[in-house]
Amino acid sequence: MDTRPMRVTVPKTPKESFNPDRPASSLLRSQALHLQEALAKHVGEIAAVLAISPYKLRTEKELGAYAKKVTAILHPHESPPPRK
Amino acid sequence: MGAALGNLQHLVVLMMENRSFDHMLGGLKKQNPKINGVVGNEANPDTAGAMVQVSPTAQFEGQLKDDPDHHFPGVDLQIFGGSQVSGRVATMDGFIKSYFSQVNDVKTSHAIMSYFAPAQLPVLTTLATEFAVFNGWFSSIPGPTICNRAFAHYGTSFGQVSMDIFYLLYPILSIYERMIAAGKTAKIYYYDETSSTMEIVNLLKNQPQLFGTFPQFLADCKSGALPQYSFVEPCYNDHTGDDGGAILASDQHPDHDVREGERFIATVYNAIRTNPNLWNSTALLVVYDEHGGLYDHVVPPACTPDGYVAQPSATNTPQAFAFDRLGIRVPAILVSPWIARGTVVPGPEDPINGRVFEHASIPGTVTSCFLQGDEKRTIREQKAQTYLDLLTDQLRPDGDCITFDL
Repeated sequence: MDTRPMRVTVPKTPKESFNPDRPASSLLRSQALHLQEALAKHVGEIAAVLAISPYKLRTEKELGAYAKKVTAILHPHESPPPRK
Repeated sequence: MGAALGNLQHLVVLMMENRSFDHMLGGLKKQNPKINGVVGNEANPDTAGAMVQVSPTAQFEGQLKDDPDHHFPGVDLQIFGGSQVSGRVATMDGFIKSYFSQVNDVKTSHAIMSYFAPAQLPVLTTLATEFAVFNGWFSSIPGPTICNRAFAHYGTSFGQVSMDIFYLLYPILSIYERMIAAGKTAKIYYYDETSSTMEIVNLLKNQPQLFGTFPQFLADCKSGALPQYSFVEPCYNDHTGDDGGAILASDQHPDHDVREGERFIATVYNAIRTNPNLWNSTALLVVYDEHGGLYDHVVPPACTPDGYVAQPSATNTPQAFAFDRLGIRVPAILVSPWIARGTVVPGPEDPINGRVFEHASIPGTVTSCFLQGDEKRTIREQKAQTYLDLLTDQLRPDGDCITFDL
C-alpha cells in the first residue's frame, strides 16, 4: 500500500532571514557590470540617433527611418524582429 | 514518436545557484543506494592535517557568510588538491584547503563538507525521489556562474572561464534567438526589475520580447500562455517590493536562506502542476549552475572540447584549459507526469549505462525538441546528451503526483 504523503508542506522562511544589508556577492557585482555594459551600448545607440538632425531629413524614407530608430529606443517592444 | 513526446509542448528550465549535488542531495543515498550521494566516510584533509568527513550539518543560512570560492583557480584547487604537475590526477580533496584560504579558521573551513539531511529540503528531495534525479549532471566548466550559465544559453562560453562580459561580439545566437528565428516561442522570466536578469543582458534592449517577470510566468502558466521554451530565474537579492513587503533572495546562492529557494522551486512546480493541460504537456528541469565551492565526491569527467583554449593568464593557474573536462557535479531533476516515479539516471559510477549531462544539454534538448535540423550551434551542444528520452509512454494518474502546500 502506498503511504507516501501526496501533499508536502513547505516550511516558511523566517522573517529574520531578510537582510538587504548583507554584503553583495561577486555574482551581484558582476551582474551590475553586465547591466552597465548593456546600458553603455544603449547610450551609444541613443547618441548616434541624437547626432542626426531632423531638419536635414527630406524624404519620407529618411524621416521614416528616423522615426523607426527613435521609436525603437523609446518603446523597445517595437524593436525590429530578431535576426533570421 | 511516443505518447509523452507527442504531448510535449513546453520545456521549462529553472536554474538555481551555487550548490553541489552532495551538499543538496547527497543524503538521499541512505534512502536509495542508486542515488550517488555520500555514504559518510568521504573526507578531505584540513590545513591542520586532520581528515574531515562529510556531515549532515548544513545550515539554511549563516554558515557560509564567506562565499566559498568557485572561480577557476579555487575550483582547480578543490579538484586537484593543489597539484600542478603534468599528468595530475583529480582527487577532490582540496575543498577545505580552498575554503580555509578565505576564512582563515580551521573549524569554520570544515563547513564546506556539510550536506543537508533530506528532511531539511522537502521540496528538492521530494522532486528527486518522485521524478528523475541525475547522478551525472555537471557544471560545464570548473568555474563561476556567468560562464557556466552561458552554456545553457549558447552551448559554449566562447572560451571564457570568468565572470567577464563575452557574449556581445560573437556570432552564435542564443537558444532563445534561434527559437524566435524559427517561428517558435521562448522567454526568459526574471524575478522582478530589482533582481533583474543574470543572463544575456544585452538582449534586454535588443530582444525585449524574450523577457518576462516571474508574476508573468505564473500568469502564463495559469492561462496556458507559456512559451514552448521558458528559462526561469530566481530572485538574486533581498529587497523591498513595490508594496513595501520583504522579498527574499530565492536563488540559494550562499549565504541566502535555502528555505526561500525551496519555496521558489515549489511555486514553479505548483504553477505547472495545477494547470492540468500544462502539467501533461510540460517537462520541467530544475538544475544548479555550478557547485559554489561546496564539496562533491565525483570526479568531473572529460568532455568534447569546443575548440577554445583559455590560457594561464585567463585561468589564473599555471595550466591552460582546453574545455575538455567538465566542472563539478550539481543537482538536476527532471519533472513530468510522464516520468516513472523514483527514476535515477545513472552517471559515471555506472561504466556501462552511465550518462553524462552538462548545461549544453539544455539548448541541445530544446533544439532536439523544437528545432530539428538546426546545425548552427556549437560542437559542444551537438555532442551533449539530451534528456527527453527519460519521458515514458505512461502518463501517471493525477493522484500519483504530489502537490506542495506553501
